[in-house]
Amino acid sequence: MDEILMILIGTTMLYVFAVSRIEAYVKTLALQGFILFLLIIIDIKEINWLNIVFLSIETLGIKTIVIPYFLLTIIRKNEIRREVEPFISQFYSLLIAVIIFIFGFIAAYWAAKTNVEIKPLYFGISIVLIISSLFLIISRKKIITHILCYMMLENGIFLLSLSVANEIPMLVNIGVLLDLFVGIYLFAIFFNKITEEYDDSHIDVLTELKD
Amino acid sequence: MGLAGLLVKNKVFNRISLFSSSALYIIIASARWFHLELPWLPDWLSVFFQFDDIGLYFFTIMAMVFGGVYVYSLFYFKESGLPAVREASYVLKMLFFLASMTGVILATHLAMLWVFVEATTLTSALLIYFEKRKSALEATWKYVYICSIGIALAFVGIILLSIGSKNINSLFFADLYNRASEINPLWLKLSFAFIFVGLGTKIGIAPIHAWLPDAHSEAPSPVSALLSGALLNMAFLGLIRVQGILVLAHLESFSNFLFMISGFLSLIVSSVFILHIKNYKRMLAYSSIENMGILFIGMSLGSLGMYAAMIHTFAHSLSKTSLFLTSGKILDIYKSKKIDDVSGLLKRDPLTGWLWIISMLSIIGMPPFPVFLSKFLIVKAFWVNGNSWLIIPFFLFMLIVAFGMGKAVFKMSFGDDAAGKSGKINRSFYAYAPQVVLIVILLIIGINFPPQMIDILNRIAELFH
Repeated sequence: MDEILMILIGTTMLYVFAVSRIEAYVKTLALQGFILFLLIIIDIKEINWLNIVFLSIETLGIKTIVIPYFLLTIIRKNEIRREVEPFISQFYSLLIAVIIFIFGFIAAYWAAKTNVEIKPLYFGISIVLIISSLFLIISRKKIITHILCYMMLENGIFLLSLSVANEIPMLVNIGVLLDLFVGIYLFAIFFNKITEEYDDSHIDVLTELKD
Repeated sequence: MGLAGLLVKNKVFNRISLFSSSALYIIIASARWFHLELPWLPDWLSVFFQFDDIGLYFFTIMAMVFGGVYVYSLFYFKESGLPAVREASYVLKMLFFLASMTGVILATHLAMLWVFVEATTLTSALLIYFEKRKSALEATWKYVYICSIGIALAFVGIILLSIGSKNINSLFFADLYNRASEINPLWLKLSFAFIFVGLGTKIGIAPIHAWLPDAHSEAPSPVSALLSGALLNMAFLGLIRVQGILVLAHLESFSNFLFMISGFLSLIVSSVFILHIKNYKRMLAYSSIENMGILFIGMSLGSLGMYAAMIHTFAHSLSKTSLFLTSGKILDIYKSKKIDDVSGLLKRDPLTGWLWIISMLSIIGMPPFPVFLSKFLIVKAFWVNGNSWLIIPFFLFMLIVAFGMGKAVFKMSFGDDAAGKSGKINRSFYAYAPQVVLIVILLIIGINFPPQMIDILNRIAELFH
């Protein structure tokens, strides 16, 4: 079951590479959050209840509902519809996505061979998520896409932490979540400011400061 | 602890709360130096927050920098004529920022340290955008976005470390240090690379320094001083703690290599840019990059280098705070950040001019100041480690930066007063006092190195034998 979900989460990333409507990105983000929630539910063995409740709030509450909803309102308010022509065309990005996937599977294979206890598929897919969101950040121009890809990067990191069974203390978990939440909130504030100050909201307008 | 100050945000209490928290920090720091135990945190928190030697050292630096920034802020309030509400928001943001930096210093858990490093990014972003200019917005966006990505990568590193240290099953530094040899070396190296890139972004080390000059030049001057004098040290502290694990696992050759390469890259970048710089606050920012490069080089040279790097951290923070605060005064007099618009500073406002020159001499390492001592020790460490040929490029870049800074600073200080710009100068006591005090502290330490400091430096350096 969890293999299917992992493949699904990988596919969402491919989908992101192929589309250019911003709302589709947000929906994919919500879907990823929901898959992460399912993965946690499946994974339950004997972890304590406090942890499960916290993780459910994190994935289902924050990652699936609050943040996507929040971003969606911003997008609707600012009437952003499409990603502008990216630096690298859709076709070549897909090609690069395939290369990233191959790399991810090699990484998973390699990780399984070193004698540490991890779940190789989780590891590989999370590497794919991390690298491809970094790639998308570099190749796309809209600032809102950058925020969305940052969230996908965070999802990838979350998945990576699922591949380890080590427990991180509760207090730390709460801190991490708080940082993430405040981070997105701040991003949104500054994004709104940028759209107010500049006519357009892609990174080409941010070139005033240089040497 | 720092959180106590946050409760006060009433208009009238602004100054009192800022003063009391800065006084509190200095008192705590000095009490710790004399081994006084203070009433401490509740048990469940003190697991995560503890003072140790390195923490105390960095805490002291932060307390000094913040003390200076507090005094200068009084001048800043008066000069910019902020309404009380804005003043309150400034104080509130600054105290949040301070609290998160304290968290970084005291954290005993690797992931907790991460949480607070990320928190410093978020809190300082609001301060950088405090003056709400368009260019400040651009700088803030770059800062907060680049650093968040960097810090996210550092978290990947932390997860990789916890994969590699499966049998330890804890990320407390004490456990990691005690059982460093049990960590899988391959995964430790991998995780170090990620943590290095992540925290390196926050430090502003060479290939990933792009945000630093923007943020430091666009922030209000007291905030720039705090960013350069205290915040950069926080991420550096994180790297020192992680480096400790690698040293104990006998993998330091790997990390030293990374430190050395990126240190020299920073020197190259800063010396290239500083030669034809046009904005004096950006010049100071590039000088920060250079000094972080020197710290990295020091780190890579074993315990003697570590010793030197520690002295350098101290000296850099204090001199850079003094420089940034003085630059705020210059900005206030001339209303321009361009080097070309400023001349005859010594005639216009002699004290500012002399502070500007003396702080510059301090940061480029003229003999009575401790920067000279630290650079000298780094050269010695090169010699001891058998890389003596690297001394030549090290000196060369040092010289270029010193030349670039010296040229700009002397151009600004001497010469005729720029005509037609005679306005009334606010000779407020608050605008000079902090720089004078910081420079006097530097001089005292440079001339007569206090034995307590040698003790603590020895203990720190011993960790990196």
